[in-house]
Amino acid sequence: MHDGSGLVVAQNLTKRFGSVTAVQNLSFTVSPGSVTGFLGPNGAGKTTTLRMLLGLVKPTAGLATINGRPFHQLGQPGRVVGAVLEAQGFHPSRSARNHLRVYAAAIGVPDAQADQVLGLVGLGTAADRKVGGFSLGMKQRLALATALLGDPQVLVLDEPANGLDPEGIAWLRTFLQSYARMGRTVLISSHLLAEVEQTVDQVVIISRGQTMFYGPLDQLRQQQQRRVLVQPSDVNALATALRAEGVQTIEQLPDGRLAVSDVDSKHVADSALRAGVSIYGIQEEQVDLERLFFQLTSGQYAGYAPAPNPYQQQGGWA
Amino acid sequence: MGNLVQAELRKTTTTGLWWGLLIPTAVLALGWGLATGLFGKFFVDFASTSDLEEVSDFLGVTPDQWKVTLFGMARAINISTIFPMVFGAMAISGEINRRTITTTFLTAPSRMHAMLAKMLVYVLWGAIYGLAIMLFLGIGVVLTSSSGQLPDAGGWAMLALACVLSSILMTMFGVGVGALIPNVAGTIVLLLLYFLVIENVLHFVLAYLEVPTVIGFLPNGSINGLTGSVAVDLFLSSAGVVPPEVEDVLRAIAGAGGALDWWWSGLVFLGWAGVVFAGGWAVTQSKDIT
Repeated sequence: MHDGSGLVVAQNLTKRFGSVTAVQNLSFTVSPGSVTGFLGPNGAGKTTTLRMLLGLVKPTAGLATINGRPFHQLGQPGRVVGAVLEAQGFHPSRSARNHLRVYAAAIGVPDAQADQVLGLVGLGTAADRKVGGFSLGMKQRLALATALLGDPQVLVLDEPANGLDPEGIAWLRTFLQSYARMGRTVLISSHLLAEVEQTVDQVVIISRGQTMFYGPLDQLRQQQQRRVLVQPSDVNALATALRAEGVQTIEQLPDGRLAVSDVDSKHVADSALRAGVSIYGIQEEQVDLERLFFQLTSGQYAGYAPAPNPYQQQGGWA
Repeated sequence: MGNLVQAELRKTTTTGLWWGLLIPTAVLALGWGLATGLFGKFFVDFASTSDLEEVSDFLGVTPDQWKVTLFGMARAINISTIFPMVFGAMAISGEINRRTITTTFLTAPSRMHAMLAKMLVYVLWGAIYGLAIMLFLGIGVVLTSSSGQLPDAGGWAMLALACVLSSILMTMFGVGVGALIPNVAGTIVLLLLYFLVIENVLHFVLAYLEVPTVIGFLPNGSINGLTGSVAVDLFLSSAGVVPPEVEDVLRAIAGAGGALDWWWSGLVFLGWAGVVFAGGWAVTQSKDIT
């Protein structure tokens, strides 16, 4: 049987559908106790990867394990891993409660568990309504309720925020974080980093079926580039002074400002003072995490649209 | 496994499909039963007043003692069990269509477990449909037949057994085809076309080619042989010595032309159901659920 470690492991996973390679040599490990974001643009292979982890799609090569075992060797998989894959897997004329009772029976948990998870996701009052009349957000909540039926150690969610209102997203965020804090494993996919940025501790970023980044979100943040935009009284004098201090990455912007990379604004202001150059305006600029994500994942299905400026200003200046 | 069987049973009872198909099944069985009685009466009256008395000499009993309703009932069972077959056909194809198959596979130890649990539940439903068919068919026949044309208690029991078995087997066959062709419309159209048209044409061709014994080994031929042979056996048991030519005609009337003994026919059809289920299992086992 499984080892109860809560580890989700993808080892050199590859999946080809005919001539299309959906996932190529993908490896990562998801640990318990944290929420891991599985990120990539549409078509990057996220859903295929999650379905390989869950034994729904057979890998062309490589191995996917949960608690050290492939899905089909888990014995009672519903008690080990719960999954929200799409908000579509419901019979429209079955009520929410009956839907949950079907799968409660399959997993082997008491029927009372169905009402409990309904309450947990906030669908208690809709229990006897037919799922066909549910909104997308309600279906997402019911899908989550289904995943929680077996009180699983591992939770896998594919774009769970789809269709949820802002209140629902905030609730989901809190829920997933507290679930992870109980020492469980949460893997959540999204095509928007901003959507999960506040939820996740770890990220796996994939593009074109390959891993682009894998590690703590903080580490990704540290990779962010910073630069200082400065409007000096004498552009040349400041540039010369900075170069004399060994700062080489200086660029003159069309609006007359200097863009200085790899230093902070204090450094630039001190240099200006020593060079006797007045500063009319100065500002630090960061590459937004979402832009960084875009840089990591761009290219797939990209057209020839003008490349957006990856730098975003944090305040009006010019 | 018990958990999965309960889950599959709940799936069938929490939607309206079971009674949505049971109502037309019952109506068809009842209507066919009524018509069987009326037609039987008409036929026996005709036979009693005409030159057909030679035939009655053959059969050794007077026409008013012919259990002609047996033939109509065998045909009624063959036609009515199309419904439980369709019900079975929706078992797996319906789940694939509704995309509920994902959760079904996520909550089962293996796909094989899920499919076997489903098959067990549909065997039960096949029996329920079979009992309903026999009940409504019996009501219809009794209402319009004179008692001389009805089977005795043993005959009723034998027919009921054949009906329930036939219904179970047809349901199982449907489940298998539904797994083999994971598309609701495709599965149902194919099954109806095959059972109502294609194989009947084949039977004509095979009879024309003078190889009618092949019919007994085809799916529809064998399942019809199960009920038809029971009907012919029951009819002959109350008749006298019957020449082989007449027996062949009687078998054709009962829908069991070229068929084997009833239990052999049942085994042959069970074989067909097993083959399609194995094929459906192989398809489902390796299928990517995307």
